[in-house]
Amino acid sequence: MESNNIEQLLDAYFEGNTTLREEADLMDYFNNHRVEDHLLQYKPIFVGLKASKMEHSDKEFKIPEPISSRTYKPWRYAIAAFLVVALGIGVFFNSQSQMSQEEKEALVAFENSKKAMIFLSKKFNKGTEQLFYVEQFSIAKDRVFE
Amino acid sequence: MDKTEFTTLVIPLKDRLFRLAKRILVSTDEAEDAVQEVLLKLWHGRENFKIYKSPEAFAITMTKNYCLDRLKSKQASTLKIVHSDYRTSENLERDVEASEGVALVFKIMENLPEQQRIMLQLRDVEQFEFEEIAEMLGKSETAIRVTLSRARKSVRDSLIKKYEYGIK
Repeated sequence: MESNNIEQLLDAYFEGNTTLREEADLMDYFNNHRVEDHLLQYKPIFVGLKASKMEHSDKEFKIPEPISSRTYKPWRYAIAAFLVVALGIGVFFNSQSQMSQEEKEALVAFENSKKAMIFLSKKFNKGTEQLFYVEQFSIAKDRVFE
Repeated sequence: MDKTEFTTLVIPLKDRLFRLAKRILVSTDEAEDAVQEVLLKLWHGRENFKIYKSPEAFAITMTKNYCLDRLKSKQASTLKIVHSDYRTSENLERDVEASEGVALVFKIMENLPEQQRIMLQLRDVEQFEFEEIAEMLGKSETAIRVTLSRARKSVRDSLIKKYEYGIK
């Protein structure tokens, strides 16, 4: 290919105005032909671009095992969800009744201690009634010894 | 879509996706991780994948977006320095019989803005039509030509500058 033509193509190339076909020509010229001295400065670009296309990865990329319809069973999710909900509700109510159980116990304890207090105070009052006689006794004694 | 069907559709693309990912992320490891991630995403969305006019364009768009996101989160964290210039030069030696000039071109391309890198990759390396690139990137053909022209000139100018500097 004539270097005139190449120069024109290069100008168009740098303006972004070449077609793929023309770019392929440039690629070919700089990679496979004797490049004219004054165009030599552009050679690394096209050699580099061509080399870039060779790059690849040797890594084995994993594609996950397909979830076939045999293993994909929507109802399993339904059951799992149901169990979770049921468990949640169960735990909730359980904790609720446990609370009232505790309250009941506290209430019983309160009633018991109230009874005990009442009992105590009754006994105490009885005790003070008995003291009345002691008082009477001391009045009688005073009379006798006057 | 079963696994075989998916594999036959995707495997021919994987090198392209890898090259694009590497162009954006620079590091080979990260590019491989990105491709793996994109393949998984494609697999999960495989029913939609088939519907696209061009599954390839769709896969490329996805890879580009994923890598740009990765890049953003990497720049947000302090990992930026870690991604390696060393690795690339190492790859160059392995993959390419690279002359100094070519090595320089690679280096220059690494330092272009991401959009320009993507453009060079899709057009000059993978040789897609402007129409296809427009579809992949969701941009007008004119905008693509402008970015591409900027990228090409930028490579040329840096190359010449470095080259002259080398001579002096």
